[in-house]
Amino acid sequence: MFRNYLKVAWRNLIRNKSFSVLNIVGLSIGLTVFTLIVLWINFELGFDRFHENQERIYEVNNQYAIEGEIWTWNSTPKAMAPAIKKDYPEVDWVSRYYYDTPFLFSVDEKRIKATGTIVDPDFLHIFSFPLVQGNIESVLSDVNSVVITETFAKKIFGDKDPIGELVKIDNADSFKVTGVLKDLPDNTDFTFEFLVPWDYLIQKDWDDNNWGNNSVATYVKLKENVDFNNFSANIKTLRKNYDKDSPDMETLLYPFSRTYLYSEFENGKEIGGRIELIRMFGFIAAIILLIACINFMNLSTARSEKRAKEVGVRKVMGAPKKYLIYQFLGESMLISSIAALLAFVIILLVLPSFSNLVGKELSIDFTSKAFWLSAIGIILFTGMLAGSYPALYLSAFKPSAVLKGTFHKANTLITPRKVLVVVQFSVAIILITATLIITQQLEKVQDRQLGYAKDNLIYTFIEGDIEKNYGALREELLKSGAATSVTKTSSPITESWSNTWGIEWEGKKENDKTIILRLMADDAVVKTLGLELLEGRDIDLQKYPTDSTAVILNETSVALMGFEDPIGEIVNDNGKKWHVIGVVKDFVFNSPFQKIEPLVIEGAKGWFNVVHMKLNEANTTANNLATIERVYKNYNPEYPFNYDFVDGEYAKKFSDQQITSKLAGLFTLLTILISCLGLFGLASYMAENRIKEVGIRKVLGASVGTIVTLLSKDFLKLVGISILIAIPVSWYYMSNWLEDFAFRITISWWVFVIAGVLTLVIALVTVSFQAVKAARANPVKSLRTE
Amino acid sequence: MLLQLRNIFKWVQLGGQRIFLLKDINLEVQEGEFISIMGPSGSGKSTLLNVIGMLDTFDEGEYDFLNESVHSLKEKYRSNLYKEYIGFVFQSYHLLDDLTVEENLEMPLLYKKIKSSERKALVADMLDRFSIVGKKDLFPTQLSGGQQQLVGVARALIGKPKLILADEPTGNLNSQQSEEIMQLFKKLNKEEGVTIIQVTHSEKNAAYGSRIINLLDGRKI
Ligand SMILES: Nc1ncnc2c1ncn2[C@@H]1O[C@H](COP(=O)(O)OP(=O)(O)OP(=O)(O)O)[C@@H](O)[C@H]1O
Ligand SMILES: [Mg+2]
Repeated sequence: MFRNYLKVAWRNLIRNKSFSVLNIVGLSIGLTVFTLIVLWINFELGFDRFHENQERIYEVNNQYAIEGEIWTWNSTPKAMAPAIKKDYPEVDWVSRYYYDTPFLFSVDEKRIKATGTIVDPDFLHIFSFPLVQGNIESVLSDVNSVVITETFAKKIFGDKDPIGELVKIDNADSFKVTGVLKDLPDNTDFTFEFLVPWDYLIQKDWDDNNWGNNSVATYVKLKENVDFNNFSANIKTLRKNYDKDSPDMETLLYPFSRTYLYSEFENGKEIGGRIELIRMFGFIAAIILLIACINFMNLSTARSEKRAKEVGVRKVMGAPKKYLIYQFLGESMLISSIAALLAFVIILLVLPSFSNLVGKELSIDFTSKAFWLSAIGIILFTGMLAGSYPALYLSAFKPSAVLKGTFHKANTLITPRKVLVVVQFSVAIILITATLIITQQLEKVQDRQLGYAKDNLIYTFIEGDIEKNYGALREELLKSGAATSVTKTSSPITESWSNTWGIEWEGKKENDKTIILRLMADDAVVKTLGLELLEGRDIDLQKYPTDSTAVILNETSVALMGFEDPIGEIVNDNGKKWHVIGVVKDFVFNSPFQKIEPLVIEGAKGWFNVVHMKLNEANTTANNLATIERVYKNYNPEYPFNYDFVDGEYAKKFSDQQITSKLAGLFTLLTILISCLGLFGLASYMAENRIKEVGIRKVLGASVGTIVTLLSKDFLKLVGISILIAIPVSWYYMSNWLEDFAFRITISWWVFVIAGVLTLVIALVTVSFQAVKAARANPVKSLRTE
Repeated sequence: MLLQLRNIFKWVQLGGQRIFLLKDINLEVQEGEFISIMGPSGSGKSTLLNVIGMLDTFDEGEYDFLNESVHSLKEKYRSNLYKEYIGFVFQSYHLLDDLTVEENLEMPLLYKKIKSSERKALVADMLDRFSIVGKKDLFPTQLSGGQQQLVGVARALIGKPKLILADEPTGNLNSQQSEEIMQLFKKLNKEEGVTIIQVTHSEKNAAYGSRIINLLDGRKI
């Protein structure tokens, strides 16, 4: 019986080549997209989920009501971890995580820069980063011990056994390698190449006991069987005993497993995060598969006239309906299996490019049972989904009706098929408008007036001897002609590293806790960064030595502080009085997608991490960089010269949105392609079934034009309905999507016009191809076929 | 007695009006009879045959087939009944184009839970009897109309039915081919005792039967 089914199914495939090709290609595109997205989602969902007992790991967050709104953030005071360790016996392990920091490693003549961090020894007990060498209890117990990853060990020591070897870090302190970590997997948010114990921080006098300085991450792992609800209520008030300034600030334990996908808070409530993107594309994956299945349903039922006789004969010969359903389902399973096979080949071919596109190392684990099970599951599911409607539809034919030869249902579009076509095209139109809107939004933000000149602007981090030799270095850079202007700042212009609500000014409201961003700059900051000065002047220490306590405000700050005439006003910050010498136009400091926040640029009395340089446009960039490198080598010989271009760093802010936009475009294209394959098939069946009608009409004098119209009209009506359905849906969702951006476009009506017209044209071309063919056929020939 | 129709009515509702397709049909068929149904086009011959073959329902009356009351049977039992006892032959043959001659013959057996080896034997037997062994691997489109109808009759017979229903079996054939099929029917009826009911427009073909039923506007006359 089964063999018989297979045989018939196979012959059917072969006999109706164009039908089979349309179905298989459509389905395999759908399956490919579906699988790629699922692989990606799977990767994202598995992110940092490999830690043992991960349900006991928490990230320590703070929560505080400011101006009636609850803010949540995840940086904590350095003093938090010891306090937890001392006061809360429920906690098994606790570790701080200093920010990822580049350090210079030197062994003999070798100099390698690596990014790593400073942690408490408990760190390796909390997270599952296994040691291949070294003892977990003692690797970080000595101040001058360092744990490195396998790859990094190879980089510095080659094939030598690294354990016990000495390295010099930052040209100052000698460290002994005590442990080697297995390389971090791709699916973790941590990126360190080495770990240094917290004691080193204390030794360097970088530690502090300031509860107002929230700058490091703190992780805890609770003991087994700790009642989380009780404990979290307990630890909430931790600051009461320690933090004099904000005793009411709450300490919150946030499950570590949620940090990657969620961790976006609004008014104290978790509102999502990356998970939204994943949900969106998960939804798209399902929709695309559905659309591919709809093709199958439509084409199969459109072919019903051809299959009707078979159903009738088989029924008359005694086939129960059940068997016919099995037979048709079997056929769709066969098609979905072939499509899956083809999809598999395509996936293997495009997986690297797709990985590249989403920026994640995706791979298929062929050894995993789960993979094969889900592959089979998807084939069965697709076969079932695509085949169910045709199977039920076809198997329900009454033999007495179909065998009489009066069976002509397929001549017109039947209602369910109409609905399916409308669903397909609605989705296509929604995706087209979404892509247009996403692209427009991206372009708008990319074209946003930055407020500073990002071209020919580079920066380097202050490291090694640069701090010490800064004056001379700067002097020489300017003299060399490679840089036209140089300024020291607290952070790169593309990243805001510091903010506060502690700034005071005359007339500040009692409990105004508006957060103000801080940038520090020693000299010529307006000139170097190319800021636009609205009032006053740039910082100029040469001419005005008191400029070390000068401050420049942005427009938003001026508005916040309510200064009528800001120049000469005084603001207090960090116990110092700063006098306002200038006002600059608002510039983008954080996310270009968001609105501009109040900002102060404080003078030379601040602290500095970065040197910005404006390159001399009269020389080539290569020459400028070579000159600057020479100067740097002079004043900071131990360190390799590393720099970043501001425009390059700025461009990175768009990577997430660019991925979204590219993926949306890609999926839109594929959706249209699949839908058109289906429409093409449907139109060809329709034309074929009406070939006699067309013949008669032509004999009676109808022109090609009227016949094409006749054959295309029905389809175009459906596309019209799709447009009407798609517009409000798309408008609703895209307005929602745009809500996330403070700096955004307003949706314009022509987006919908473009999407509608585009879809209509594509549908028209697809359908009329068949219609014209039918209309131009020789009527004598087509009439003879009956 | 093979079957009995008592006061069978069949109608369709058209714009609030009942249009009768069959009107008060009474018919008794004994085993071994060879009946011809005649009547002008549209008189309800095919409709009657479909009712007898249980492919179509009726609206009023009673129908007994081998002592089963067809009118009170569920669809599933009805199909079991005709699957078991009735073979159909059609004017346009209705062979499946995707199957070879051999497979077409085998097809009805697939739905009867007959073992593969037994199926093979039955098919081989049938091919032999109709002298079409040489054609067994051909597809229907590669046969002449007469040959196709031969296969159609063989297919109807393979399940060893008690009754063969044939709706204008020679309608698409030339006179020589018609003659052959009719001779075949006669032989089956005489030698194997198969009951046959055929619809025909030809007086000559009707004469092969032992009894003629005339229909006019859905009524027996
Ligand atoms: N579903 C239906 N709805 C309305 N009328 C029907 C339906 N089925 C059959 N008829 C009508 O019933 C009548 C009998 O049809 P039937 O096919 O039985 O005729 P027939 O005697 O077999 O004719 P022919 O010799 O042309 O094959 C016809 O007038 C036909 O139009
Ligand atoms: Mg008829």
